[in-house]
Amino acid sequence: MTDQAIATSPEEQRALERFYYYEARLLDSRQYQDWLALLTEDVRYSMPSRVNVQVDNRERGKQQMLSVARELEGPEGSGNPLRDESYVHLMLRVERAYKINSWSENPPARTRRMVGNVELMARRDDEWDVLSNFQLFYARPGSRDVIYSGQRNDTLRVAEGGYRIARREVVLDYAEIEKPTLGLLF
Amino acid sequence: MQPTISELVNEDASLISRRCWSDEGVYALEKRGIFGKSWLFLGHESQVPNAGDFVQAYMCETPVILSRGEDGALYANVNSCTHRGLPVCRADHGNTRRFICPYHNWSYAVDGSLVTIPQESEVANRPDKSKLGLKRVPRVESWRGMVFGSFDEEIISLESYLGDMRYYLDAFFLRFPEGIEFVGAPHRWVLDANWKLPVENQLGDVNHGAFLHSAIIPREAQDIIEELGHSVVTAPGHGATFRLMPQDAPWQDVAWGMEAMGAILGGNEVQEYLREVQAHAAERVGELRARFKGLTFGVYPNLSFLWSNTSFKVSHPRGPGKVEYWSWAVVPADAPESIKKILRTNYSSFFGPAGLLEQEDSEVWTQQYIGSNIDFADDRPYYYGLGLGEEKPHPQFPGLVSVTANEFYARHFFLRWRDELMAAEAGL
Ligand code: FES
Ligand SMILES: [Fe+2]
Repeated sequence: MTDQAIATSPEEQRALERFYYYEARLLDSRQYQDWLALLTEDVRYSMPSRVNVQVDNRERGKQQMLSVARELEGPEGSGNPLRDESYVHLMLRVERAYKINSWSENPPARTRRMVGNVELMARRDDEWDVLSNFQLFYARPGSRDVIYSGQRNDTLRVAEGGYRIARREVVLDYAEIEKPTLGLLF
Repeated sequence: MQPTISELVNEDASLISRRCWSDEGVYALEKRGIFGKSWLFLGHESQVPNAGDFVQAYMCETPVILSRGEDGALYANVNSCTHRGLPVCRADHGNTRRFICPYHNWSYAVDGSLVTIPQESEVANRPDKSKLGLKRVPRVESWRGMVFGSFDEEIISLESYLGDMRYYLDAFFLRFPEGIEFVGAPHRWVLDANWKLPVENQLGDVNHGAFLHSAIIPREAQDIIEELGHSVVTAPGHGATFRLMPQDAPWQDVAWGMEAMGAILGGNEVQEYLREVQAHAAERVGELRARFKGLTFGVYPNLSFLWSNTSFKVSHPRGPGKVEYWSWAVVPADAPESIKKILRTNYSSFFGPAGLLEQEDSEVWTQQYIGSNIDFADDRPYYYGLGLGEEKPHPQFPGLVSVTANEFYARHFFLRWRDELMAAEAGL
């Protein structure tokens, strides 16, 4: 992504960051029902797979050769993204968290995430495209501690009373998936 | 002291030692006795349609390149340079004319033969390049587009190896006029577990579904399995489970087994597609198999097929306590693009590294490995005796058949495992 962030007023920037801090706090304090209320009902939540692509000789020396997008199998392509979910899927994940027989969450994980590098990339009427980075520490009894790192490529819908997440693409940084699950709410 | 294999699995395989899951010596025997001698799944022909196409695969821990040569034939070669052993291919998949080793740039054709040694013009005695190609997997065969390789030159043909499993796999494959195709790259992830537990889970353990997964799977699903479920072993280590739907069942209860969530979330378009496929099922696979609503299948030693969420999986060992699990979404080749996308999501939302159901499976496989390593419990082998001796031949389908709670699928797996490891132990 070579595009520059667009100009924002300090108030707008602060409001966006406050939104993401609030969201992070909800998720780390396991208030998943409240988190669900931050989504629009037509939300699309995806996580591309990352593959090791062949270096194309004709692209030698060009920026394209190193492009991150080439490594991603996302929801629009014909590959197989790791996740491509709707509100119903996310609702299922949230409901699951409140059941005692969700054994991979029982006892629940202790998580802490840092969200930063918040950049407003585009503004279309009531829809804003916003990038953010995150680092998420995850510890759960009976499991190794792991760190998730990635970028979120969001479309926020600007509604009365704040923002709603209408689209989120989570680009995880991994070479091998050595995490207990990628089914968390990132 | 190293236990002998006959001490680890009893005569009828109703008692399985914890060491089978955790012992380094046992694992070394598995490599030789099983992975060196079986047909191992490499990939699907839809992944390598054109000359020069390749995908990476594994045969146990050995990295292999499956490719389509200039001559149109399929090849499998060990991904390791003959000069100093580096992998010559780093991409997961692609199309190329040559694999070029990074170290001294020896180059290999996609069929694995050595083409150039850049340094050879400087020396007087030129090596015989025809003997220095990549190590070729000696046997490669495919059936219904499924490509397998074996390191055992003498192994029986793939078709005989699959035997009556073909009858059950065809109940799925033949429903679709153009067969199936694999979608994109496999999801691959590493778990601290032994390779055999994911295999056993998919070979026939459908009776954990409504228990382990009760946060998602309703009790009614289990009632239906208890009422209509069949578990089949066609040969030790090969198995299939499915529901045989009643003759008068409405089409949407049968479809081809795509489970409720996927069909519901897919909306009318999916419903319409399922109805269409089911309408032609009887003419394509016969009246009996048209009523099969599949659950899980397994092909010895480590290939699994999850019919309900249309996924093939391979459990690649990485030592006794680590597994690299690969899974692919598969779709009917002639389905419209929009249906393919819904089907891949029906897989990835519930299975794969982010799957709602697989989260629980990954958790228990990891915990089982911990249990298999604890001390002072060697006199408590795992109990595999449920339904012992209750399986019988069936008047209508091939193989031994029983209720799904009968653990005979696992006992038969371990009887074969025991024989093959005892042979390896004896140096055969
Ligand atoms: S190690 Fe491959 S060319 Fe030398
Ligand atoms: Fe399961």
